[in-house]
Amino acid sequence: MSAPRRNPELVVDGFPPRRARWVEIATSADHKDLGRVLITGALGFLFIAVVELLLMRLQLAIPENTFLNPVTFNRMLSLYGATAIFFFAVPFALGFFYYVAPLQIGARGTALPRLGQIGTWLFIAGATVLYAGFLFTPSEAGVNPLSPLSGIAFLPNNGVDAWAAATGLATLGFVLIAIDLVVTLRRLRAPGMAWRRLPVFSWAAAIGSWLLIVIGSVMLAAITMLLIDRNFDGIFFAGDAGGSPLLWQHLSWIFYTGTYMLILIFALGAIAEIVPALARKPLFNRGAVIGSLVAIAVIGTLAWMQNMYTAPIGIGWMYFAMIMSLALIVPFGLVFFNLIATLSGGTVKMRAPLLFSAGAIVAIAIGLATEMNHSMVALGWRLQHTTDSTAATHFALVGGAVFGGFAALHWWFPKMTGRTMGETLARLSFWTMLLGTLVAFVPLMLAGTNDGQVVDAYKFFGGSSDLDAYNLIATIGAFILAAGVLMTLVNAILSREGGAPAGHDAWGGDSLEWFALSPPEPHNFDLLPDVRSARPMRDIREAIAHRSARAEQPARESQPVA
Amino acid sequence: MTPHSPGTDQIDTLLWIGFVAAAILVVAVVVGLLYVLRRYSAERGAEPRQVTGGRRIQLRVGAALGAFAAVILVLSIVYTDKARETPLTGPAGLQVSHSEPLKIQTTGQQWLWRYDYPNAAFSYYKLVVPVDTTVELELVSTDVVHTWDVPDLAGKRDAVPGKTNHVIFRADEEGTYFGQAATLSGQAYGAMRTEVEVVSPAKYEAFIKTQKRDIQAAQDRVVGLIENGETP
Repeated sequence: MSAPRRNPELVVDGFPPRRARWVEIATSADHKDLGRVLITGALGFLFIAVVELLLMRLQLAIPENTFLNPVTFNRMLSLYGATAIFFFAVPFALGFFYYVAPLQIGARGTALPRLGQIGTWLFIAGATVLYAGFLFTPSEAGVNPLSPLSGIAFLPNNGVDAWAAATGLATLGFVLIAIDLVVTLRRLRAPGMAWRRLPVFSWAAAIGSWLLIVIGSVMLAAITMLLIDRNFDGIFFAGDAGGSPLLWQHLSWIFYTGTYMLILIFALGAIAEIVPALARKPLFNRGAVIGSLVAIAVIGTLAWMQNMYTAPIGIGWMYFAMIMSLALIVPFGLVFFNLIATLSGGTVKMRAPLLFSAGAIVAIAIGLATEMNHSMVALGWRLQHTTDSTAATHFALVGGAVFGGFAALHWWFPKMTGRTMGETLARLSFWTMLLGTLVAFVPLMLAGTNDGQVVDAYKFFGGSSDLDAYNLIATIGAFILAAGVLMTLVNAILSREGGAPAGHDAWGGDSLEWFALSPPEPHNFDLLPDVRSARPMRDIREAIAHRSARAEQPARESQPVA
Repeated sequence: MTPHSPGTDQIDTLLWIGFVAAAILVVAVVVGLLYVLRRYSAERGAEPRQVTGGRRIQLRVGAALGAFAAVILVLSIVYTDKARETPLTGPAGLQVSHSEPLKIQTTGQQWLWRYDYPNAAFSYYKLVVPVDTTVELELVSTDVVHTWDVPDLAGKRDAVPGKTNHVIFRADEEGTYFGQAATLSGQAYGAMRTEVEVVSPAKYEAFIKTQKRDIQAAQDRVVGLIENGETP
């Protein structure tokens, strides 16, 4: 299972399983099974996150609404933040990395499969803790539980402890999976699969995994400090006793900013696989795209203080964060340019994955452009902590994790299940989601910029008819978005058994996962090809065509000449 | 929302610059994408051009993006520095001293703002300041992080326990300006508002006097009650 064997020619096909399928999955250390667990789990939590978002939007539909009381609202908010980030976006991205990257590099499995297994189970354990907490007292401390509010003095019930345990377990799981991926990508590449030939999505997996190891460790440290502060009289975040509440802000923002970048790297990596295949062209300036993804990971994470312009920190630190944030224009711009240049001159087949990719590019562009405004220091003083920042984050992360993630889902679904997702429902879902995203978040931008509506508040005050309209429209938009998301979830469930059979090479992609069967055998490949270029699957297709042409020729040549 | 202080004037200008810059970027991406998707549809039946890239075009695009980022950076620093300048009290303002701003200690607490004026007067919820006078709020917190935000008058700042943060503004017009705390601070966060009433210097002096007298009277009453052996 772990290391590639030298003589892989022994092939066993159709060997009957000894145990029930669910027992196989529950005890599996196979990256494909675990990847599917992560992806399926993430989609389940996407549904839950959407429900929580809708409840909050219902509360904010009309001014001074009393649908949710303030405490319930804060609990919804905290659950939503944890669910959307720790139990949807990150495991969704990581699930695809973990499923696809070993296939793309021609590995027979991962290097440290037990790490991946325990990582996946820690993710499940974290999710269980979070929603077991829902039965008694969920956290009331918000998306990022800032100290001192998250301290024992202000929230003495065990909600914050449950939050810390849940996110801590999940983060530890992600770091373990990331370690497995990093080692696998270093050690188990097929013969000839040099780094310069590695598919862009595998590069994204390598970059994302390194990033997760760094930021995940920082978050684990912060969460541990929080638990010590709350339960063992620690003073890490106590301002009057030698600690500092700002320490939590620094550590947690390193993680959240890095996670933001991780999600975008995942989405752009997946889009960089989809676009060339459906335009039938190689990726334009591959090297620059990969370099840009590395730059996004490093520079983007260094911009963490972009979230702290209003905090009492020196202006020099704010300028540092601003320089890092604005520097991101170059790598993001280059990736967008090269994706568009790849489409230019190609023959574009507008299938569902490309449609979702295009939606992702648009949404991410809107989100990042708005974020650029937030990173200009003086403008940050005006725009941060308003619903404009909610909208910017949602544009970028819905663009990355939902649109980009759904592009990846439609793209690799045939590989995972052997069946294609329904195209009609996919299109309907896409247009509904695009409409929903715009209708939900553009009014929030206006409400934040023009009326200064603040984030995370359980109510807003009426009086300005603009503000009332913005919020009502945003609520309607959230419902439209939810309907679109639901359609894709339904599509995935229906297509798992009922989709059109896809074949092994579903899209004509250039990377090696399309060389494996759909779904792949437990050992991934019967035969490992020698990789000779950055487009190994294309080489294989050409070799097969060449060989079958030759196979016909000798038949004629072998006829007696005379 | 209209700016009513030199600092917010600068922020407002920067907002327009930022809006134009963001619009340029979004329009470039969206138009470029829609154009290639329409123009190069598979239905046109041509063979795809197998180009893998070009160093020169990459350097050019990178340089253009870098130049764009540099322009935004410079403009942003220029306007941020202007917004950070401490304005001088104008002729119509309260003449405390020549260059010193009127310092008011502002305390965030769950879920009310407390304002301590220089002469031992204080008020909750409502801040009264003289017009055309440089005011410096010294932000502190007694419990959790709060963000003081009255967008017409100044950029927002956090009140963090154990640290002091500063908000400086000079209101140019009499009137009432509303604000709402902008960092989640617990249950009643959504109701944590504040109001800044900008008045003439004479009215400000009168307000301080009344406030001091009222506070003193209330204290005397309580002290009197205790001395008489009653519970206040």
